[in-house]
Amino acid sequence: MNGRIKVVALVLALATVSTILPSFESKAADFPKKPLAMIVAYSPGGGTDTAARVIAKYVQPHLGQRLIIQNKPGAGGQIGFTALANAKNDGYKIGFINIPSIFMVKMLRDNVPYEMSDYEAIANIQLDPVVLTVKADSPYQTFEEFINAVKKNPGNVNVGGDGPQSNNQLQVVVAEDKLGADVNFVPFNGSGPAITATLGDQVVASVPSASSATSHIQNGRLRALAVFADKRYKYLPDVPTIKEASGVEVPSIGASMRGVAVPKGMDPDRKKIIEDAFAKVMKDPEFIAHADKMGLPLHYMNARDFDAYLKTAAESVESYISLLK
Amino acid sequence: MFDNILLGLSALSDVTMLVAIAAGVLGGVMIGVLPGLSSTMGVALLIPVTFSMPPQVGLAMLGGIYLSSTYSGSISAILLNIPGTSAAVATLLDGHPMSKRGQSTRAISLATFGSCIGGLISVVALLFIAPPLAEFSLMFGSPEYFLLAVFGITVIASLSAGAMEKGLIAGAIGLMLSTIGNHPLTGEMRYTWGLPSLYDGIPLVVSLIGLYSIPEVIDMIAKRNQTERPLIDTDASNPFTFLPEVLSHKINLLRSSLIGIVVGIIPGVGCSVGGFLSYDAAKRISKKSKEFGNGSPEGVIACETANNAVTGGTLIPLLTLGIPGNPVTAVLLGGIMIHGLRPGAELFTLNAEITYGFILSLFVANLLFVPIGLFIAKYCVRIIQVPRSILAPTIMTLAVVGAYSIRNSLEDIMIMLFVGAIGFIFQLFNVPRAPLVLGLVLGTLAEGELARSLALVHGDIFAFATQLVTRPISFVILLFCFYALYQGIVQHRKKSKILDD
Repeated sequence: MNGRIKVVALVLALATVSTILPSFESKAADFPKKPLAMIVAYSPGGGTDTAARVIAKYVQPHLGQRLIIQNKPGAGGQIGFTALANAKNDGYKIGFINIPSIFMVKMLRDNVPYEMSDYEAIANIQLDPVVLTVKADSPYQTFEEFINAVKKNPGNVNVGGDGPQSNNQLQVVVAEDKLGADVNFVPFNGSGPAITATLGDQVVASVPSASSATSHIQNGRLRALAVFADKRYKYLPDVPTIKEASGVEVPSIGASMRGVAVPKGMDPDRKKIIEDAFAKVMKDPEFIAHADKMGLPLHYMNARDFDAYLKTAAESVESYISLLK
Repeated sequence: MFDNILLGLSALSDVTMLVAIAAGVLGGVMIGVLPGLSSTMGVALLIPVTFSMPPQVGLAMLGGIYLSSTYSGSISAILLNIPGTSAAVATLLDGHPMSKRGQSTRAISLATFGSCIGGLISVVALLFIAPPLAEFSLMFGSPEYFLLAVFGITVIASLSAGAMEKGLIAGAIGLMLSTIGNHPLTGEMRYTWGLPSLYDGIPLVVSLIGLYSIPEVIDMIAKRNQTERPLIDTDASNPFTFLPEVLSHKINLLRSSLIGIVVGIIPGVGCSVGGFLSYDAAKRISKKSKEFGNGSPEGVIACETANNAVTGGTLIPLLTLGIPGNPVTAVLLGGIMIHGLRPGAELFTLNAEITYGFILSLFVANLLFVPIGLFIAKYCVRIIQVPRSILAPTIMTLAVVGAYSIRNSLEDIMIMLFVGAIGFIFQLFNVPRAPLVLGLVLGTLAEGELARSLALVHGDIFAFATQLVTRPISFVILLFCFYALYQGIVQHRKKSKILDD
């Protein structure tokens, strides 16, 4: 009887140990063993979420496991970014981060419980610049005509855009500063409503994200005067960059970038596996074809470049943030 | 155009298409019945599933979810006094009293056939006159939205069920709650106590769950020892016997559909407002306006017809201009773009097969939710006979899970319980809850649009006031506001006179 109990106890003990043991191993070879979760700081169905879900689908074969989207929306991304900063760094929790929103939340609010040093960069996925648009029948044919009108009437030309305290508004204040102009920025509930207001003659011009304005520009209802980026936008090749249009260098820090990051201190081998998977998916022709069809402006940066970009961009945003307060 | 419709029909005759619609409708009915699962969530969660389907099949499924969940929120509103979706808040005012009288099947049938007819009429509008109607949606600027919100707030008089003062108090509390969160134009935080979960304001679905479920649960627990069971049906139990009754309300159906379509076309207003405005119009015009609030069939039909007519209306600016009118269609836009389709003229020419296939699938979905909804409702009706000691904890569980699942947030459960406490106090003092919902929905709209209107005229109040009377649409809405107020005051005076006598 006694012996039997001992045997049972031994079996139980072995069973327990055998379930605990694997978690001590950090051998890269058997990572990932289960699906990974990717925190998205915005609601299901939005632009960020859709982009995240598309990449999650195509990264699966390169990762060897499924990538599950976890939406943690709210407070302009703050809730999701905080969740990522506090997540376990065992490699099974990664996050989709939005730049410059992640800086702006931190810089504009008090008591934001994350630091940029809480994250390690994996890859940048897309870059969606801000574009200046007017209605098709607007008198302003070029950027020059528009900016001259603004300068003649400082502070009175209504320009609509996502806001308040959005990347679009940041781009507007940066451009105002560099071009010596002053517009009346009117915030709307997102780029879509700002476009609607432009089409309905509520505002003279608007500054939507290029991805949300592309279809309206292509079907001729809106005219784009300039794109706030260093290079022309892939899906709008005829629209000049702000430098081409104005001759002035305007930092494109308002461009919305979406990339992947992980909580700091992750095992380097595991991090490498995740990095490689995203590097591969960004070259995957099927993914690229799907992104093209959707109009997703892909822009790959590897971990090192993305990390360097984050550092310089943070400084640049910091120097302009006082203009938004 | 007719070749395009034929093209759409050929797309529709595919078996997978019909299966997709049926699956969407079935899923949508379930989502709508359960408070806490919203149409937006249903569509958002299924978009990844529709990735790998042909576009028209995927869209047909999403459309099925949207239409049927908008309808089926009425089932829980009628049976349990808990709206399944925000669109059903006005349905509950008369639907639940009918159910209490033992007319559950009748109330559900009225809601079902009303929804179906409203939905069908709105799809007809979408199919034949979408482009000119879409231009109308562009004529709505900030001053118009502001006045529309003000007009919506005058509906409080109709929702107060005779207790005007209490209705106004509830409406004011709703408006005050709507100011929680960041200011729509400056981003300044108000009453958030540093809690990030309050930065975006009190989430509507979470507060609806609390406001209606918690008082109901408390009430059930308080009455748990009463043995008398509510009657299911004193009338006939075959839902189709009520079809002639619905059809006899011709003018009500037509008026409610029109209100729904117009509200749908105006971006940013949505299904619940359509229901409220139509309910209000029905009550003002009805010869039996006293029955409203005590189980008036006209009220149920008006609200349900209108909120489903909104669905077709919202698709008009979405498909023709790429402008989503409410959260569901914003998500649906993502579902359209994911297939590489671009809303606009192209959608009706180059991709006519997909687009017309989708529009025609909406007809099928509108018809299909009638048998599916009634079949599910047949079993739901028995819920009211489940012992309260089982029903109360079940509803409580659903409320907690539902509140959590919207943003995966524990704080939202606290918000739900807090609003639930308000709801309980309201019920204790017989304060109507619908005006609070109206205040919460319209407060944000009114505040944001007023601020934006002023920003557009550089803060010049005189210029803003001139705009209100010189812009044609805003002038018309302004007249409506004055008329509503005038009529409200006259009726109130009349009532107090009767009391004095």
